[in-house]
Amino acid sequence: MLGSWQVLLIQPYNMDPEAARIARESLDLAFHMSNILDTGLDRHTLSILIALCEQGINPEALAALIKELRREPPPKPGVP
Amino acid sequence: MDEQQDHQTLLDLVKELVHRLNPSTATTTTQFAQSLKYATRILASRMTPSIAADESAMAESIKRSLVNEGNSSGALAFADLYTKFSSKSGFGTIKNKWAVLYLLKVVAEDRKAAKKSNSRASSGLFASTVCGGLPVVFDEESGGAKKVLDRNRSGSNGVLLVSKDSENFREIAVREYGDLVREESEVSEGVLVRDVLYACQGIDGKYVKFDKNFDGYVLLDSVKVPRAVRVMVRKVCELGWLFMKVRDHVSESMDRFPAEDVGTIGQAFCAALQDELSEYYKLLAVLEAQANNPIPMVSEAGNSGNYLSLRRLAVWFAEPVVKMRLMAVLVDCCKVLRGGAMAGAIHVHAQHGDPLVQEFMRQLLRRVCSPLFEMVRSWVLEGELDDIFGEFFILGQPVKAESLWREGYRLHDGMLPSFISQSLAQRILRTGKSINFLRVCCEDQGWAVAAEEAAAAVGTTTKRYGLGYGETDALEALIAEAAKRIDRHLMDVMYKQYKFKEHCLAIKRYLLLGQGDFVQYLMDIVGPELSEPANTISSFKLAGLLESAIRSSNAQYDDADMLDRLRVKMMPHGTGDRGWDVFSLEYDARVPLNTVFTESVMGRYLRIFNFLWKLRRVEHSLIGAWKTMKPNRITSNFLTKQEGSIKFQFVSTLRRCQVLWVEMNHFVTNLQYYIMFEVLEVSWANFVDEMESARDLDDLLAAHEKYLQSIVEKSLLGERSQTLCKTLFLLFDLILQFRSHADRLYEGVHELQARTAVSALSSQGRTKTRQKQNDESSWGGGGRKALTKLAGEFLQTIGQDLEKISKDYSSSLEGFIAQLPMQQHVDLKFLLFRLDFTEFYSRLRLGK
Repeated sequence: MLGSWQVLLIQPYNMDPEAARIARESLDLAFHMSNILDTGLDRHTLSILIALCEQGINPEALAALIKELRREPPPKPGVP
Repeated sequence: MDEQQDHQTLLDLVKELVHRLNPSTATTTTQFAQSLKYATRILASRMTPSIAADESAMAESIKRSLVNEGNSSGALAFADLYTKFSSKSGFGTIKNKWAVLYLLKVVAEDRKAAKKSNSRASSGLFASTVCGGLPVVFDEESGGAKKVLDRNRSGSNGVLLVSKDSENFREIAVREYGDLVREESEVSEGVLVRDVLYACQGIDGKYVKFDKNFDGYVLLDSVKVPRAVRVMVRKVCELGWLFMKVRDHVSESMDRFPAEDVGTIGQAFCAALQDELSEYYKLLAVLEAQANNPIPMVSEAGNSGNYLSLRRLAVWFAEPVVKMRLMAVLVDCCKVLRGGAMAGAIHVHAQHGDPLVQEFMRQLLRRVCSPLFEMVRSWVLEGELDDIFGEFFILGQPVKAESLWREGYRLHDGMLPSFISQSLAQRILRTGKSINFLRVCCEDQGWAVAAEEAAAAVGTTTKRYGLGYGETDALEALIAEAAKRIDRHLMDVMYKQYKFKEHCLAIKRYLLLGQGDFVQYLMDIVGPELSEPANTISSFKLAGLLESAIRSSNAQYDDADMLDRLRVKMMPHGTGDRGWDVFSLEYDARVPLNTVFTESVMGRYLRIFNFLWKLRRVEHSLIGAWKTMKPNRITSNFLTKQEGSIKFQFVSTLRRCQVLWVEMNHFVTNLQYYIMFEVLEVSWANFVDEMESARDLDDLLAAHEKYLQSIVEKSLLGERSQTLCKTLFLLFDLILQFRSHADRLYEGVHELQARTAVSALSSQGRTKTRQKQNDESSWGGGGRKALTKLAGEFLQTIGQDLEKISKDYSSSLEGFIAQLPMQQHVDLKFLLFRLDFTEFYSRLRLGK
């Protein structure tokens, strides 16, 4: 379902090869930058994050989410 | 339809993200569902970045932070990638590039912070509360405690059977209490918690609303709850009130920004506040997620973990309230302030005993002050006054080059924050001023090298934004280094390139008449010219005479540049002024030396020059009188031939003249000696010493001021010795009068002598030409008698004049000597001592 980033980024029904190429290159660049900054994100996660940003999600909130989820396992449901 | 699809895509994406971040949990477990819920809550929160969305600025900041970490190759690679990244356009590219960059940066920073310390010492304000991950901790702790309790119970089970019953009682009682509480309050606590959370974001809830009369959030009166709950809600909602205040200030300032001058420091303050607010938003997001968990009733013995009750909320908010309160106080006190004054006002609040407050204020101040310190840095190292909003504590104003040092820049006390002391501010001012002085007045480029050296000596703190609040030592070190080097360089330029010392010496030689042969020669050749009425004298001719005086004295070997600057100046003159009254010399100092030799300073030099010139003129004329008196033999020869009363009259007149001359000469010589040796040379020697030890231009100015002041004071030109000075000028006038009388006397004597010689010749010629004997003897006899009579009359008038002058002179001199001891200056005692060495005058006074 979420196999490739291009699918996420662009509506699947109006995919064209040129757009896909540009999108892949952009992701490559972003991934390089991410590595330089040592964010520890893998390529796939990054593609999801970019797609979320494209959807207008606030980057600050995204960053906070990554921080929270990484540090500790998410809150478990209460023990009865 | 489309919207729904978008929403579905979003949800899928988030799901995938959560899965990727925690690969261990399967997508089906409840734990995953929990995480997902948590994630959506955070994403839906009101968190906003504290900075404006500017893509290239963001890239720049990432680059800078990479460089700061020492990873310059990374920075280069990043810059390269970024240019490629930003140039991508067209269909299929990332549209929101800024968001991606920002995300990368924040994630990288968070990761680094987490790596550095897993403890709570994280950088953000609310980080300490969020980091703790209290929900989880709670969970484990209480769970563990419960287990222990269970074990204890099971261990004691067999021994204390009765306790079971009592426990039942307790459970029953608790259940009853729970029912009671439920009856008493219409609204469940969960709903109230939710409302309070809203209130803390400045939004009215269903039950908790903003009350204008009360000026705060209160629970509606219509809602029936226990009093304790009401009070608690009010207490917790203080945070909402404070939050609104801070948020309003930030948004107001940001709105105002382009139109009005909030200033860079005001902006920095807002940015810092905004950052704190976004930390606060993070906390709220976490809390809101927790608020969704149902609050277990008191009767339910089990612990359901991370639920949120009003009490828990109060605990959560304990720290944020302190910080928010501080921010609100700061907002209040900074509303009308700008620039350095604002930083100073915030600094006052930083003096606090609570380490939490201290740390918070320190971080805030670091950010607020960073523009200020940047201004200090660029001022001290580059001489740039980079202050468009007038926030810096140094004010510049456009002035002419010669007054740049004195008036070009000044401290603005209102903008001086209290953590920079007055003396440090003075040093900062002077250092930048020196750079500007070098640049504008000296046209020198070497200061840049000096500044670089200073920067290298101090080290890391000289980078842009390298200085921060609280590093007073580093600041002082930087200032001290920069000041030392730049001042040294300035002094070098002044001494070597602009030959300050040589110019001072030239002024002393020519304006203060230190070059004896030059002055003598000048006096000789301009004397006749200056006796003419002032309006008939041509200053060009005088300039020519000055030139020839230079040529024919040792002054010709001086530097041509300095001789060039020496000019004749005719002061404005009235009717009846003689050339003597208006003639003066002038020294053209030019930029940059006219910073020292300003117009007022040159005016004082002029006064001194006039005084000295007059003194020289008096001395010169006395010497002239001596020259005419010197041919004694002729007169004595002539005298012996005279007879009787005339001879006696002659002798007494000449004697009076001689005595008076000697007396005047004694006075003038000693005064001259005093001025030259006790005043000029001593002051000069002191000045040279101070000049050598001067470390900056201010020292030099002060030394020169002292030098000039001491000359003015000691040569009786000061305020306090005005009457004395008047008497002195009276004495000078008398001496000049004496000179003209003496000249008349000797002219008369010469004339008489010539006439006698003629008559003697005719009496000799009598033997040769007998025919004319009668005529001639009658003429001769009558001539001799007439001559004697004429001489008698002449001598009598001269004698009377001399008598008058002598009387005036001695009374004036007595007055002068009587006034001398009343002067404050100790050096004048020496003058008195010299004048009255034999105690002649004091005895004379006692005798009267």
